[in-house]
Amino acid sequence: MSLVKRPDAKAEWFLPGILAGLWFTLKKMLWNLFNQQKMQTLNYPEQKYEYGPRFKGNHVLTVKKDGSIRCTACMLCATNCPAQCIKITAAENPDPSVEKYPIAYEIDVLRCVFCGFCEEACPVDAIRMGPEWQTAALNGSKFTYDIQQLAYRPQLKGGVLSVLDDQERHQAGI
Amino acid sequence: MPKLKINGKDVEVPQGSTIIQAFKASGVEICHYCWHPGLSVAGVCRLCMVQIEGIPKLQIACNTEVKEGMVVNNTAQGVQETVKWGLDFHLINHPLDCPICDQAGECGLQDQYMQFGQYDPQMAEHKVKKHKVIDLGPTVVLDSERCILCSRCVRFMDEVSKTHELGIFNRGDRSEIGTVEGKPLANNYSLNTVDICPVGALTSKDFRFRQRVWYLKEADSICPGCSTGCNVKVSYNEEGLWRIKPRENKEVNGYWMCDVGRDSYKFVNLKGRLLGGRVGRRGSWQDVDVVDAARSAGLKLRETVEKFGPDSVALVLTGQFTNEEYKDLLGFFVSNLKSKNVFHWLNNPDKVNEFDGLLFRGDRNPNTKGLVGAMIAAGVSGKWESLQSGLAGKKIKLVLVAGPENQAVFPDLEEKVKFLGQAESLVWMTSGTSTVLDQVMAETWQIPLKTYIEKAGSFTTYQGKVQSFKLGTTIVAQALNLSEVAELLAGRDLNWNLRPGGVGGVKVNYSTAQRGAL
Repeated sequence: MSLVKRPDAKAEWFLPGILAGLWFTLKKMLWNLFNQQKMQTLNYPEQKYEYGPRFKGNHVLTVKKDGSIRCTACMLCATNCPAQCIKITAAENPDPSVEKYPIAYEIDVLRCVFCGFCEEACPVDAIRMGPEWQTAALNGSKFTYDIQQLAYRPQLKGGVLSVLDDQERHQAGI
Repeated sequence: MPKLKINGKDVEVPQGSTIIQAFKASGVEICHYCWHPGLSVAGVCRLCMVQIEGIPKLQIACNTEVKEGMVVNNTAQGVQETVKWGLDFHLINHPLDCPICDQAGECGLQDQYMQFGQYDPQMAEHKVKKHKVIDLGPTVVLDSERCILCSRCVRFMDEVSKTHELGIFNRGDRSEIGTVEGKPLANNYSLNTVDICPVGALTSKDFRFRQRVWYLKEADSICPGCSTGCNVKVSYNEEGLWRIKPRENKEVNGYWMCDVGRDSYKFVNLKGRLLGGRVGRRGSWQDVDVVDAARSAGLKLRETVEKFGPDSVALVLTGQFTNEEYKDLLGFFVSNLKSKNVFHWLNNPDKVNEFDGLLFRGDRNPNTKGLVGAMIAAGVSGKWESLQSGLAGKKIKLVLVAGPENQAVFPDLEEKVKFLGQAESLVWMTSGTSTVLDQVMAETWQIPLKTYIEKAGSFTTYQGKVQSFKLGTTIVAQALNLSEVAELLAGRDLNWNLRPGGVGGVKVNYSTAQRGAL
């Protein structure tokens, strides 16, 4: 068994290190005091950081032109989800041109890892990862998002329109 | 027995076989839609192309008979190209709505495109629009756009069920499957068309949109719907059973099963199941562990026999259980208790010999023959009249009943429960709950039993064929089978290692128990 011989702690004089650290802090404080515009940090929550448009934040279920939900309940997002946090209950839509739609779509955000696989798996642009990232709530049950929350929460101002429209696709002969 | 070579592999098939049958026998894959082993040859999909040595052009394998010394292959460049562009033709008007199609995951088009197709479509024209979501009848929904006109369903109706409801209407790319003058597709074999449809054109109303097929597992079993004993596979996941499909067995059911049998997954699911032991009378039930319930019933049973003799107890059996269970329970009752009071509860005596000419029989019990055989083997032949007189004369104090697993096929359930409840004590062993028991005056033990998918055993069909099946899945962890009940009634302990719950049998299947009723 070999032992690593460390330099004796008494042989090291620690005061210069401490003074150097204090000087660094003082220097930065003074610089920030006189150059507030160039400061590297934010005064959260008064100031908030703007993420790019591709940021993967809270999920958004898109809507069709008539305001109904775009999702067709194909379950590809739920199948692809590595955290298994998506639960969909499909049902038959009274409108035969729609056929299948979700009567319940729940995401357990506390289990979600925000990987974006659901967005990638979706064949009809029905689910997107939005820009919102502040997700505080008062208790655990508030973290299971339902259709109301995912598609029609007030921040979305009536819903995000899906880029894929069935009527247009039919007219294009697809 | 002609011999031929398929892709360099020697195969021997019976005289008169077609090349596609030789392919199936040898296990070599071949692309096909319209050919089905249980139906006649149509030769419409033109995908089972093969190259035969000595014949200049490609031939379809389904309609070419095998000859001695044939050399066949489907791996040549020309065959592969033909199949690939044949698939392109099939998909010209196919809507590709896989996301909302129930067939996705077990679809012939998906599988064969991935295996043989993988082309860039060459079609620039618009797709022909047809009717979608057509209500064909009480069980089947048709989507004409998805249909590739393989005519399997039409041939099934013409050749197997012989009801001729379906046909192909219009011409060319406007051809559609339909029923004559909107007459509904309502016969007892309509859901077979859903099974044989290689695409999602015909879907089952019962299963439609309820699950994606890749969430389901399959277990082989025997249909408990009637005494024919069709071989089936049951699709299930952690939430319960979802559907039943036929499995090939040429001696029993061929490739088919009836719509009534397909409903025999419903009583297995948690809704309506007895989840634990119950002891009490007149609707005031106390929930107890199933093992304790069976043990206390056993104590009462043996006490009654000691006090009043073996003729004071009776055993009533229905034809819904396995041969092994009958043997164990009768062994305990006849050999240990020395009682001869064993009675056969036949639910529909006037319909027992009915038969619809194809599969469905009037005897709605899977194992009537096995029960009769077990009773003969045990040397008992209880007459129902002696049970009646015994109960009326208060000679029979305790009745053990192995009640119906599928309560829907017992129209006389209420009447029989009231009749059997005349005894002082009633041990009611069944898989489902029954509100009729709430009116029974007798002191009652309810013991939950396993259904056919939760146990291994064998059923004897009407023709005396013994078909064994394996355990598929567990829905109610507390449930016992009759052999285990017999052990507990006799005062012995169960072999805990064999129980799914482990020591004490207290483990509950949380994934099924906590999701609530289906």
